[in-house]
Amino acid sequence: MTGSIATRLLTAALVVVGSSMLVFVIMYVLPGDPVLQMLDGNASSPEAIEQMRKQLGLDQPFYVQFLQYFLHLLQGDFGVSRVDNSPVLPKILEHAPATLALTLVSATISVVVGTVLGVLSAIHRNGFIDMLARFVGLYGISMPTFWTGILLLLLFSIQLGLFPIAGSNGWKSLVLPGVTLGLVGAGLIVRMVRNTMLEVIGEPFIITLRAKGLAERAVMYRHALRNALIPALTVIGVMIGELLSGTVVVETVFARQGIGRILADAIMSKDLPVVQGVVFFTAIVYVLVNLLVDLSYSFIDPRIRRAH
Amino acid sequence: MQIKSTHTWMKTAALTLAAALLLTGCASHQGQKAANSSAAANAPAGQASELTYALATSPDSLDAGASGFAVSHRVFRNIFDSLVSQQKDGSIQPWLAAGWTKSEDGKTYTFKLRQDVKFHDGTPFNAAAVKANFDHIYSGGRGQAIALLGPFASTEVVDEYTIKINLSKPFEPLLSGLSSGFLGISSLQALQQYGNQYGKHPVGTGPFKFASWAENDEIVLEKNPDYNWGPPTADNKGPSHLDKLIFKIIPEEATRIGSVQSGQALAAETVPPQLIAVLQNDEKLQIDQSITNGSAFSLYLNTKGEPWSDVQARKALQLAVDVDTIVKTLYLGTYERAWSILTPGILGYNSSLANKIQPDVNKANQYLQELGWKLGADGVREKDGKKLTLRYVEPSPNREKRNDIAAIVQQQLKQIGVQVVLNITKDTSTPISKGEYDLFGNSQVKADPDALTNLLHSERLYTKGGTNFPQLADPNIDKLLEQGAAESDPEKRKAIYGQIQQYVFDNALALPIYVFPYTVVHAKSVEGLKFDLLGYPQFYDVQIRK
Repeated sequence: MTGSIATRLLTAALVVVGSSMLVFVIMYVLPGDPVLQMLDGNASSPEAIEQMRKQLGLDQPFYVQFLQYFLHLLQGDFGVSRVDNSPVLPKILEHAPATLALTLVSATISVVVGTVLGVLSAIHRNGFIDMLARFVGLYGISMPTFWTGILLLLLFSIQLGLFPIAGSNGWKSLVLPGVTLGLVGAGLIVRMVRNTMLEVIGEPFIITLRAKGLAERAVMYRHALRNALIPALTVIGVMIGELLSGTVVVETVFARQGIGRILADAIMSKDLPVVQGVVFFTAIVYVLVNLLVDLSYSFIDPRIRRAH
Repeated sequence: MQIKSTHTWMKTAALTLAAALLLTGCASHQGQKAANSSAAANAPAGQASELTYALATSPDSLDAGASGFAVSHRVFRNIFDSLVSQQKDGSIQPWLAAGWTKSEDGKTYTFKLRQDVKFHDGTPFNAAAVKANFDHIYSGGRGQAIALLGPFASTEVVDEYTIKINLSKPFEPLLSGLSSGFLGISSLQALQQYGNQYGKHPVGTGPFKFASWAENDEIVLEKNPDYNWGPPTADNKGPSHLDKLIFKIIPEEATRIGSVQSGQALAAETVPPQLIAVLQNDEKLQIDQSITNGSAFSLYLNTKGEPWSDVQARKALQLAVDVDTIVKTLYLGTYERAWSILTPGILGYNSSLANKIQPDVNKANQYLQELGWKLGADGVREKDGKKLTLRYVEPSPNREKRNDIAAIVQQQLKQIGVQVVLNITKDTSTPISKGEYDLFGNSQVKADPDALTNLLHSERLYTKGGTNFPQLADPNIDKLLEQGAAESDPEKRKAIYGQIQQYVFDNALALPIYVFPYTVVHAKSVEGLKFDLLGYPQFYDVQIRK
């Protein structure tokens, strides 16, 4: 067990390092001169442009820039933003709580709504709940988040005045964005749980359990659900990544703070240190969540525990 | 058994739902109460009041000397005062400078400063502080500030309250530039203390002090209670009527306008044309429009690429693009059509260009035919086996519906057999710096007709840090631009810039499209919101009434 955790941690570290290397290369090859882009016709002279290029270390060859970047990163130095000269790490730490809160809330909504509806719809196949569940599943994965977000805003903030329309202060500002994003994940999970539940219910061991005279609720929730949860858990791991990236749109619609928005802004202005920092941070969160998901398999399924 | 379990589930679900409704119900009451009480507190003028103003984009920096964005100016104009103040008619009056003199040769300006002004950090406003500001701008080399200073050479502290600005050659737009918020005066102590982080800790002498900035969320300014040196353009003579000025950053259009409709913000900028009519019918709201002066949004034609280096080919485009249709279709009568690349409110605007041209597809076709471009089977003209294409580079996102302009131009030019290759991209600087474009749209906010220098002077190419999108290199125009900048007689300046605009028209260097109105929607309770010559909002006179 410990051995496997160590292997997983090592892989995780490799994923994080690999992804930031990849981003550095991509940003480097992308066309566009960051200095001209920053000045956008506002420089006084060609000398000023050269001076700025030198100041940013952009006159150095690729491998020097890369090595410097990597050495600094190893020392925990994320560098400073090219746009506003502010250090990158505090910037990420300022914005991360809002994104993490949003991800957590929407993940909770996804899991609760998704699992409950998924299980109920499998048990009451073709009933009302099943129809509802299939609708949520289809809506969640097919409706763009900005559309859902604006609809919710129009109804609950502008018409009814129940929730603040913009900003990231307090739990009330989390409700609408959380639901908007949560519906996407709920859609995925409903479909997954429903399908696996239906599969499991059809398996011979369920008949055995029923034949033993076990209460139907025990059959469903103690035995069938546990078996159905494994694939759903995998989806949750992947979904966290989706949620982290989906926050860009939701953060813009609801005018929230968040790392999604600073990442989008940084890519547009070729602000490499910020892009790197956010990718690094997101990669760590993603890898950690998936590590937790992998570990939780063995708690839910004794077969996996024994295999280790 | 199964039925029973369903019942329990349904009961639980119903209970949860009821509890949730109850909770939201309570919460909403609280929310409304809070909103009501804050509105009540805002009601009487002169008492505790705050204005929330929703911005469409975020400032990059609140260091006046380092930012190039209009949105930054909208915020930091409240923090910084300038040496002089420019009136709506273009004339210049004293502000932080009590008076000034210009030397005979026009290369030295001496300013006598006010002696009763203090920065927000308590340090005195004096000549040393002013000098530090210009040194700061010159060491950074970024932003609008440096361009506004033109041929700036040095500053000299003459005595504690006298400062001299030396130029390398006469530069008439200097005073207009000095009136801009981009040359607003910062505290010397704060500049030294915060270094390259100054943009997040601005300290000026203005009617509002910087309080806090949560990135991508809001910027909060507080009243400067000592303020009594407002500009001559303002009615207010003492501290601001507002206790707090909060700028909320809300990029999404529907959310931003909705925040005013729902009363969660009192004002929002950049109202899209299709919403203007709707909001005008709302009796609680008011719409203000203000022309932003400078260069009108125009499509510049690159004179360096074949075949558009030929003036006759460019004239064909000028005749084929139906600007009236574009402006009416897209802006529904809320934007004014432009006739020159300068806006009508600026000194030297050439009004004789209005209605000078009408769309004429036949003549445009004839021009191209004469040049040897023959219609091909696919409706695109050809010559020597080459198709007649036009590379239209257009920035994303779709600001002011400019991407839609591109789409309409593409359709209109089809009629004369020109194939428009549209490149909508976030990174326009790459194709522009490589010269890989035939047409590029641009507008600039400037108070002086010298704005044309950055657009037309041969030394102001994009790769050299300028915006000469036509890549024009005409020694006569260079000379005229330099004369215009050095000339002190306004009448002579008018003649010079009028001539240059005529030249732009005659040579079809640009197709002027629209003059941008800065559009704000605000609650009727917000009174005294004014706009300056450049269309920037002024909050110093604002009061909130019930």
